[in-house]
Amino acid sequence: MPGLVTGAGRGRGYQGGPLTVTRAAPRLIDRGDLVAALDRAAVSKVTVISAPAGSGKTSLLRAWAGRLGQPGRLALVQVQRGQQDAQQFWLALLGAVRHATGADSGAEPPTATPEFNAPAMAGRVLSELASAGGGITLVVDDLHELNSPEALPQLTQLLTSLPPQVHAILTTRHDVPLRLHQLRLAGELAEIRAVDLRFSEDETRELLDASGIALSDSGAALLHQRTEGWAAGLQLAVLSLAGHTDPERFVAEFSGSDRTVAEYLIAEMLERQPADVQDLLLRTSLLDRVNGELADLLTGRPGSARILLDLEDANAFVESLDPERTWFRYHHLFADLLRLELRRRLPEEVPALHRRAAGWFTVQGQVAEAIRHTQAAGDWAEAARLLADHSFSLTLDGQAQTIQALLRAFPPGADHPELALVRAMDDLAQGRLDEAAAHMTVAEAHVRTMPPDRQRRLRVAIASLKLSLARRRGDLADVVEQVRFLASPVTGPSDEDIALGSDLRAVALMNLGTAEAWSLGLPDAERHLREGAVLAREIGRPYLEVGCLAQFAFAYIFHGAATPNVDAFAATRQRCREAIELAQRYGWGTEPVIAPALLTLAGNLIMTGEFDGAERWLQRSERALQTDAGPDIRLLLHQTAGMLHAGRGRHREALEEFTEAERLQSQLERSQALATQLTGWLLASQARAGLPGEARALLAALDDEGADSGEIRNARAVICLADGDPAAALAAVADVLDGTAPVLGYVTVVEAHLLAGLAHRELGDQRAANQAAERALALAESDRLVLPFAMTGSAELLEALPPHQTAHAAMLADILDILHGSSPAAEEQSSSPPVEELSPGELRVLRYLPTNLSRPEIAAQLSVSLNTVSTHLRSIYAKLQVRNRSSAVQRARELRLLAAGRTR
Amino acid sequence: MDPAPAPYTIRINGHLGATLLAAFPALAPQHHGAHTVLTGLLDQSALYGVLAEIEALGLELLEIRKLTPDCTSPEPGDRYSP
Repeated sequence: MPGLVTGAGRGRGYQGGPLTVTRAAPRLIDRGDLVAALDRAAVSKVTVISAPAGSGKTSLLRAWAGRLGQPGRLALVQVQRGQQDAQQFWLALLGAVRHATGADSGAEPPTATPEFNAPAMAGRVLSELASAGGGITLVVDDLHELNSPEALPQLTQLLTSLPPQVHAILTTRHDVPLRLHQLRLAGELAEIRAVDLRFSEDETRELLDASGIALSDSGAALLHQRTEGWAAGLQLAVLSLAGHTDPERFVAEFSGSDRTVAEYLIAEMLERQPADVQDLLLRTSLLDRVNGELADLLTGRPGSARILLDLEDANAFVESLDPERTWFRYHHLFADLLRLELRRRLPEEVPALHRRAAGWFTVQGQVAEAIRHTQAAGDWAEAARLLADHSFSLTLDGQAQTIQALLRAFPPGADHPELALVRAMDDLAQGRLDEAAAHMTVAEAHVRTMPPDRQRRLRVAIASLKLSLARRRGDLADVVEQVRFLASPVTGPSDEDIALGSDLRAVALMNLGTAEAWSLGLPDAERHLREGAVLAREIGRPYLEVGCLAQFAFAYIFHGAATPNVDAFAATRQRCREAIELAQRYGWGTEPVIAPALLTLAGNLIMTGEFDGAERWLQRSERALQTDAGPDIRLLLHQTAGMLHAGRGRHREALEEFTEAERLQSQLERSQALATQLTGWLLASQARAGLPGEARALLAALDDEGADSGEIRNARAVICLADGDPAAALAAVADVLDGTAPVLGYVTVVEAHLLAGLAHRELGDQRAANQAAERALALAESDRLVLPFAMTGSAELLEALPPHQTAHAAMLADILDILHGSSPAAEEQSSSPPVEELSPGELRVLRYLPTNLSRPEIAAQLSVSLNTVSTHLRSIYAKLQVRNRSSAVQRARELRLLAAGRTR
Repeated sequence: MDPAPAPYTIRINGHLGATLLAAFPALAPQHHGAHTVLTGLLDQSALYGVLAEIEALGLELLEIRKLTPDCTSPEPGDRYSP
């Protein structure tokens, strides 16, 4: 039979342990009618099986899926008990879908990130489902366990836009607030409820016969009546009746009792087990998952693995979770009852059992589970210490929501100072900067009371947090000095210390290098980021590696800009591409973490006049930054967009973007490194957009330091030219040209030469104008720098150069081509975002896009549903990275996807 | 919504024994016929906690009632007194 695959992210953080493939347990009877009912229901898009605990929901699923000849593929996710972490759930779902579609072979497994983007994740699941071409049933078992408010709206979204030939089945103990009324109205929602799952009297009889239990017809009827056909009750009764000397008496006594079915039968069942089995069941009931080793530890006896296997074989509410049958879980209701019984019989042992389990999970590196058991043991101080020590690693594992849940589990009022660090992290992640700062102060005071080893480690953690806080606030200069010590290795006596230390150190290097990159501490930034990337790779933290490489690419902007440098631009692009490629391998191509590299690449292409390629990277950056509110990176986004418009001569649009960037700049506590560049371009755009008065007013308001910079002097020249005062413009750029004004990079000098050239032209001095243009070309040639020529509108200035007199004829021709709007210097293939291949279905829809047929008309032409066309369209837009039909057509033309005869 | 705890009675089908009652340490049990009535002071979150427990244990919930000083308790002659 096809195995049911329970998807599980196998990242280090996944607390559930193994990737689980459950076998269908041997079933006693074949409930054919019920299975047929599910068959009929499953024709609908979505089937909900909603019934109380023990009604046999999961058994029905297994029976349905385990039949011979079951067509199609199953992607099954069993929601973990009390799952409060939406990311863990979505990763498991994506993993299951990819396994079912076969998309997981050879690819990196879905990996958690500290910056979880739920809508993007739901989109990934949808596109995996769409590209699988149908025939998939998505099964979510125990949906009621999903205790994350963010997860349900996204799941609703997924369920209401399932591609054709994809169905979903959900099981839950209670109706969950999924908004599925549209599906209901369309007749696409089927339900199976408690009354449908109930055993009939005949089925009860059949079950008894199949279990070899000799019971009279009246006894069977009595049993059915007493259990009301409740599946768990019947199964418990069968366990007690098997081998019972007097089944009639058992049923009579049961029937005469007023106790609840479950409690009565579980007591009977336990009593019939040998002492060691009883003991194992009780002591291990406090685990969500158990294996032989862990059970041996909790019972203090060997041989537990054998008992667990026997229990599963006897259908005794124990099921294995992996094909090797090493991990097991108990039926939830059964576990809950055993746990109550354990507390009643052995109350004094419960904390000790939790402590033992916590120790085992700590050694296994399953920290969240260890902390849960430490909390359950009532060892709050120890739980706080564990959480503080591991909060960075858990965050890197993408378990921020798990951390929040663990924080909530501490008793209110008795807050431990260890938790201040964890709360500071959480505040920072949620953008509560003042609270974060307050918690950091508490944490710092507390750290002084610790033994030296921990003190050192926690100081690193706090310093790292301070850096990210300072970065969010745009106030880096002071803090970078305070935290230089981060760069030296963290050492500790044990392996665990070193592992924790490595995570911490890699984060610290990334934060430090990032801070340095943004405040122009370049050689240090490069060194720390490179070191951080190497360390992250060594310790298997791809997220940090991508983060370091993305910032590394960004850092290079400045390095290359100081002087013309043949390799600078090429090297930067290379770094950007490496970072982006790595990010894509993990599915993070549009996550905030890669945004610095995306923006750097866009900015770089704008500098060399490759505007179309730059625009596509810019669009991708916008998508990556949808969920990141950090003003620093958004500033860079708007500044880059402004550069693109300015390069295309769209001064109004450029002005809008630069104005927005300037607004973000004002939110930072200190000016960012490139502030004068931004202000200079803003002023120049105002002047060029016909607003020189406003530009002058803004210029007058600048402080002296800013006004003396080369970037602002250039802006002053632009304003003078707009005012018809070329002599003043020449005066403004004089200090830039003779090297006395401070400049951010040689780009400013090229610009100054061009402005001088334009001024000379106005003054009628063609010879001086030609000389200025020639100097600009000479400086720009090695990097093929085009933007200053485009921004200043220097086409006429260049055209006036006598071709035989210039030493830069080829460069001149290229620039003129770009300025006249002919296609930019042929961009290398790899500069544009790699396009995911379109599926044959998507290609068929794509071919209709240049026509004026509407979506329903396209659907009719292709004989498919409107829904199918819409799904393909969404997927086409995503893959081509466009937002509308006309840009999709344009992009498809560029990629030659519309060419006739290209069919696959 | 009144944030103060209020007296509630919760009626469940069947007699709850010592094991199941361990799940409701804050509530006082009474058997009425074939039902168990649990009574206690609960605020809203405690009440939802009890309901979740009832669901998890697969118990059949028959009735929940918030008692006010002048209202008769579910069983005749069994008046709630603070």
